[in-house]
Amino acid sequence: MNGVELKDRIEDGWPGRARCRFDAARRVNEVTCERAALADVCRRIFHEWDFSFAGLIVEEGPDAWRLRYVFYGERDAGWVHVLVAAPLAENAFPSVVVEAGIYAADWHEREAEDLFGVRFEGHPRLGDFVLHDDAWQESVEPMRRGFDAVAAMRNRRPDADWRPQRILQEPGAFVMPIGPKFSGVTESVHFLLETVGEDVIRSSTRLFYKWRAVEKLAEGKTPDEVLLLAERFAATTAFAHGLAYCQAVESIAGADVPARACVLRVFLAELERLRQHAGAIQEICESTALVVATSQAGILEEELLRVSGNLAGHRYLFGLLTPGGLACDLPTGACREALGAARAVLARMRSLDDELRISSSFLDRIEEVGVIFPQVARAYSLVGPVARASAFVRDLRRVQPYSGYESYEFDVPSEEEGDGYARLRVLFAEARQSMRIMEQAVDALREGEIRAPVNLRGGAALGAVEAPRGAAFHWVRLDDGGRVSRYHIITPSFVNWHSFHLAAEKFAFQDFPIILSTFDLSVAENDR
Amino acid sequence: MSAQGWMLVAVFALCAGGALAGLIVSDRRNPAVLAWAGSLAAAAAMGAAASVLWSGTIFEATLWTVVPFGKLAVSVDRLSALFLFVAAVVLMAASVFSASYLKRYAGRYSLKAMNAWFLLLAASIVLILIADDALLFLLAWEAMSVLSYLLVTFEHRRDESSRAGYLMLAMGEAGFVAVVLVFLFLAANAGSLEFRALKAAAEDLGPTARWLIFLLTFFGFGIKAGLVPVNAWLPRAHPAAPANVSAILSGVILNLGLYGIVRLNLDLVPVDMVGAGLVVLVVGTVSALIGILYAATENDLKAMLAHSSIENIGIVTAGLGAGLIFMAYQRPALAGIAFVASLYHMINHSVYKALLFLGAGTVDDRTGTRDLNQLGGLVRAMPWTSGAMLVGALAISALPPFNGFVSEWLTLQTMLRAAELPSIPVKIVFALCGAGLALTAALAVTCFAKMFAMGFLGMSRSEGAARATEARKSSIVPMVILAALCLLLGTLPTYMIQALDPALQPWTHASATEALVPPFFASHASNGALPPAFAAEFHDLGAQVGQSVLPGRGLVVLHRGAAENPVVFAMSTSYMLVVLAVLLGLTYVVLRLWLTRRRRLARGERWDGGVRRLLPEMTYTATGFSNPVRVIFDAIFRPTTVEDTRETVAEHFRMAIRRNHLAVHVVERYAMQPARWAAMGLANGLARMHHGRLNAYVAYVLLALALALTLGLA
Amino acid sequence: MSRWVIRGIRTGIKTTGYPRDPEHAPGVTPGLPVGDVLGAEAAALAERCPTGALDQKDGYIAVDYRRCVHCYRCVRGVPRPLAWQAGYEWAGLSGEPRAQDRLGGPFRRSIHILVVDAGDCGACLNEVKQLNNAYYNMHRLGFFITPTPRHADVLLVVGPVTDHMHAALKKIHDAMPTPKRVVAVGACALSGGVFAESFVCGRGVSEVLPVDVEVPGNPPPPLAILHGLLVAAGRKPAVPLTSAEGGM
Ligand code: SF4
Repeated sequence: MNGVELKDRIEDGWPGRARCRFDAARRVNEVTCERAALADVCRRIFHEWDFSFAGLIVEEGPDAWRLRYVFYGERDAGWVHVLVAAPLAENAFPSVVVEAGIYAADWHEREAEDLFGVRFEGHPRLGDFVLHDDAWQESVEPMRRGFDAVAAMRNRRPDADWRPQRILQEPGAFVMPIGPKFSGVTESVHFLLETVGEDVIRSSTRLFYKWRAVEKLAEGKTPDEVLLLAERFAATTAFAHGLAYCQAVESIAGADVPARACVLRVFLAELERLRQHAGAIQEICESTALVVATSQAGILEEELLRVSGNLAGHRYLFGLLTPGGLACDLPTGACREALGAARAVLARMRSLDDELRISSSFLDRIEEVGVIFPQVARAYSLVGPVARASAFVRDLRRVQPYSGYESYEFDVPSEEEGDGYARLRVLFAEARQSMRIMEQAVDALREGEIRAPVNLRGGAALGAVEAPRGAAFHWVRLDDGGRVSRYHIITPSFVNWHSFHLAAEKFAFQDFPIILSTFDLSVAENDR
Repeated sequence: MSAQGWMLVAVFALCAGGALAGLIVSDRRNPAVLAWAGSLAAAAAMGAAASVLWSGTIFEATLWTVVPFGKLAVSVDRLSALFLFVAAVVLMAASVFSASYLKRYAGRYSLKAMNAWFLLLAASIVLILIADDALLFLLAWEAMSVLSYLLVTFEHRRDESSRAGYLMLAMGEAGFVAVVLVFLFLAANAGSLEFRALKAAAEDLGPTARWLIFLLTFFGFGIKAGLVPVNAWLPRAHPAAPANVSAILSGVILNLGLYGIVRLNLDLVPVDMVGAGLVVLVVGTVSALIGILYAATENDLKAMLAHSSIENIGIVTAGLGAGLIFMAYQRPALAGIAFVASLYHMINHSVYKALLFLGAGTVDDRTGTRDLNQLGGLVRAMPWTSGAMLVGALAISALPPFNGFVSEWLTLQTMLRAAELPSIPVKIVFALCGAGLALTAALAVTCFAKMFAMGFLGMSRSEGAARATEARKSSIVPMVILAALCLLLGTLPTYMIQALDPALQPWTHASATEALVPPFFASHASNGALPPAFAAEFHDLGAQVGQSVLPGRGLVVLHRGAAENPVVFAMSTSYMLVVLAVLLGLTYVVLRLWLTRRRRLARGERWDGGVRRLLPEMTYTATGFSNPVRVIFDAIFRPTTVEDTRETVAEHFRMAIRRNHLAVHVVERYAMQPARWAAMGLANGLARMHHGRLNAYVAYVLLALALALTLGLA
Repeated sequence: MSRWVIRGIRTGIKTTGYPRDPEHAPGVTPGLPVGDVLGAEAAALAERCPTGALDQKDGYIAVDYRRCVHCYRCVRGVPRPLAWQAGYEWAGLSGEPRAQDRLGGPFRRSIHILVVDAGDCGACLNEVKQLNNAYYNMHRLGFFITPTPRHADVLLVVGPVTDHMHAALKKIHDAMPTPKRVVAVGACALSGGVFAESFVCGRGVSEVLPVDVEVPGNPPPPLAILHGLLVAAGRKPAVPLTSAEGGM
């Protein structure tokens, strides 16, 4: 089924109640539908036509709410954006989780409710999400246009009686709190493990301790200023997020990124993936207390950081991207040199992989822990290595290619088991594929421009990039003055974290850090 | 009549008078009557017992001569006096405690009944211990059974109490039947009911009869003592009773079962079979292990204490068993030590268990709950009660310098002496039992660490616990006294051994004192009596240091006599206490007054990971604390899941996970249920036999006759 | 298991010579801009800096390292770029200059470090993590990471201190025994970085806690963080945090 057929099906399905517009250049079907038809439309797109749910984008127009439900499918099917609108006074919408059975929308709806005060009817878990109820009262809606931060700070009324939500009803059950400060060098996040001792029956994560309100901060800034935020809100995958953001801006401006810049972007994105995967592998080894392997993986990560730093000046590839291309050219020779260095690192990574595969004490600890079943991966629209380890293979580089990925030859590794070990194998396999792509990219480097002019104008677009942890979506709306009026980031950590509790239940306490590490979740990326 | 006689008369007079006086005065005043009459009676009993223990003269009196049966007589020998003294101590504490504790029942239940039953129970207990003939013994025993039933079901409107009481009565009666059978047999054998005559006539009983008597008495009294597998009533009845009664049940009535076993199997019909000793040893060990396993995972404070009573009585019984085996192998000194250890532990258990039950009652009274999962943080609101409970917990966990340590240590040490025995299988049984008891001791520490940590430390997990206030003085004083006794019994073992030893010497014919408490410190004059090899070894150890300063006989030593390598083991809790105090004091001085004297002491809040507010539900519960034990011994607990449901909205949001497990007590599963089924099967079979055909009945009669004839001829 | 041991030994020694010898390996540091005389173009260049790290006066550009977020806008895509230096000894003292006297002392030998993430982007934390790996191996210098404030001597804070972490950070600092030191790491922790204007972020740790040592960089490379710890321990001299007083 391609985009055009899809348009026909939608228009036939709900005559008069859903209108469809197909944008062939972006391969987006934009469906405008009534509130009453929303759940039905979304259900068919998600369940019948097998689209993934990317996210929910709420925008507050001058006099109306605009909700945009973004779906993406296989290569031909392209994107579907389902739009509903309602006057500002009517802020209640059907919950597509409840009405359409799209579980993946759960956290997106919670976030929108917490930040905008939009209600999703039937959703039983609204409130206490981004804004902690024991820090802010429910009525604070920071993403609203008229939000007055000074007044909100002055009139804070935290809920003094806040209690963790407990669902385990068993004699002697209690909640084991972990964090926000726990363990050695970890990001701040709060876990609440419901247990009667020994085994965790249910785990829930209290996120957004690190919420920096990046999306609010971006409003009213120039695209160049917002680029700094896009790179820096989750800097371990700075390049991927910067790229997604730049793609959105370029799409609005209609800018054509020069070929050399495209190839360099691919090269750098894959270098970042390689490095991030090395870091994730190191975390997994560390969680299983395998000392030598931890240190070996740590060496690999540091060496890749040095390769990046040497090539691009910055170890986390800051300051290279700019809307329209790259801020500076990287000499082909330097790229080739970096490739050589990375190849040497990869060789050692492979031998580490071989060694780990025969370390029974290590395998005992990560095999069959933290299992995500394929149907869960699909129902939650999981992304990245986590999804691919559960046989749910939807790599944006393959299904919705950007930056010329369609011209590279590479495999998308996947596994069936969905356990911690499967995720580790995917990380190793993807690292190898990244090297394949980098090799092709260096060969494809031709002299030329690296930056195209960008004419900023009003409009909105979605930038989508397969970041190391999975699909990242940046929604950017520019006003007529070329300033950002809405910026929404949907990150792989946010999407995958939603499913984490399913992997992290009914296991012993000591498995918790292992399961967590195999998910490779970034709090900074989730919290924004 | 002698002074002892008058004191005993006073005991009964006070009990009867108190019970009558209670009927006259108003309900509200009954607790005071109970407290006064009970404690005075206990004091009188204590006096009588003490004088017998001290002087060693046996007190005897005939009450009434009934023509066909002989006479009703009482006598107090050292053994009786020992049990009597312990019973009196617990009675006194429980009586004083009752004064304020019983007020919680005012208006809801009849305090007149409580007063009367309590005092009469006290009288019947005394009577059991001093009875010198079968009839009086059995009458008093039956009175005790019925009265304790009435007291357990005191809160008769609670279903749980009446059912527990009924089970206790039913099982007690089953045991009683066994005991009656034994006495009938002995009486028929002797042609008299007097203990002396029974004993004399029993001397020439054959081995089969001895085995039968042993098994029946061990079964019958074992039920009262709460031994596995006939303990089913105990964990239900003890928690169901009011706390003052629970203290009596655990601190006194269990001892009566032991008294029965000792009196029958040591005194009247001495057991000389190794096998019988092994049975006692194994039953004791298994009781101890099963008792502590259930105690460790129990969250109801009183039920936990009840399970732990099974454990402690198990340890006592194991010690008795060891003693019987040593007797059978002609090792009287070792047997004496084992008996001393065993009775020592029984006394200790009475003291600390009474203390813990009184404490548990106080906690229940002040917080409205006994569930450890609901308690917590009491140490701030109830410092005295908590302090006393801490002492009780340390003592029962067998930690020095408290009393539990001494007796458990002695028991384990004597069990190690089984290495001297000739039979390999017996040695193996001893080794296994020793290991079992060691495991028991370890689990006891977990169990009572849980009790104190979850009940008294941390955050309050319920409204009731958060609002608790300290108990009244009349509740605290008995607890503090019992706590002090725990320390005394723990630090002065040599004196206790000397008091216990003579009570057992009539049967062991050997002195445990001599073996355990060398004349080393007894007096300087007798130093000459000390074997030179022994003295040399001990001087090498530096034992003579400070002998004139430190409290004299602080050292418990087992030695093998002068000839061979003398010292087997040695310990001294009193010296340990001194050393501990000195070291702790020194540490304080060095750390606080010297090394860090210029540092300002800062008290920070507890570290909670940086959460905004640590809530009580975020702290460990008692269930969580004991879960490792549950997981490790899963094969024994074998919980069945009775509920495991989850509630979801839209098949996605989890709203509730409800889980519940039920663990059927292992004894219930493997002994009681099969027994019930067998009984039912038998009843069914019998019913089938009663089908009303005459010729069949004739056949049964002929069959029975033939059987009797063959047995008689054989 | 022995395979791992052999593998470990075969890898050889990777550890840097710093602080004994300087480290020159490529890619260990992103470097920082240096104050420079630019003349007429200075004003325009200073304008380009998104965080106001550049201050120009009479054609001389002074750099406030605490604010630099490595956006490279003063060097990339400009006709006359600002000079750039590749060092990593960047840690300076916060507050009054006498602070140096208070450092060292009980911190000279072995210190336990509590790392708190107060809203960082993951990069600073990742660089702190590198200190534990074979290349930097800070254990050899007597620096240890501890998970609890009770054992901590030094509080290492990364991130701009988000509103939700504000109370926790204070609680952590209070839970540490005295004497204690606070080391703020990264542009966000020093000035709020790019998040400074967010209504839920502050302008750095010093708004919440008394900071002793500041380590600029976005993120500071592991060696810079190491330098910061050495400064806190009084084992290395601090450097000025702005180039106004003469530069590095
Ligand atoms: S690199 Fe630093 S100094 Fe230069 S413009 Fe960016 S933030 Fe300012």
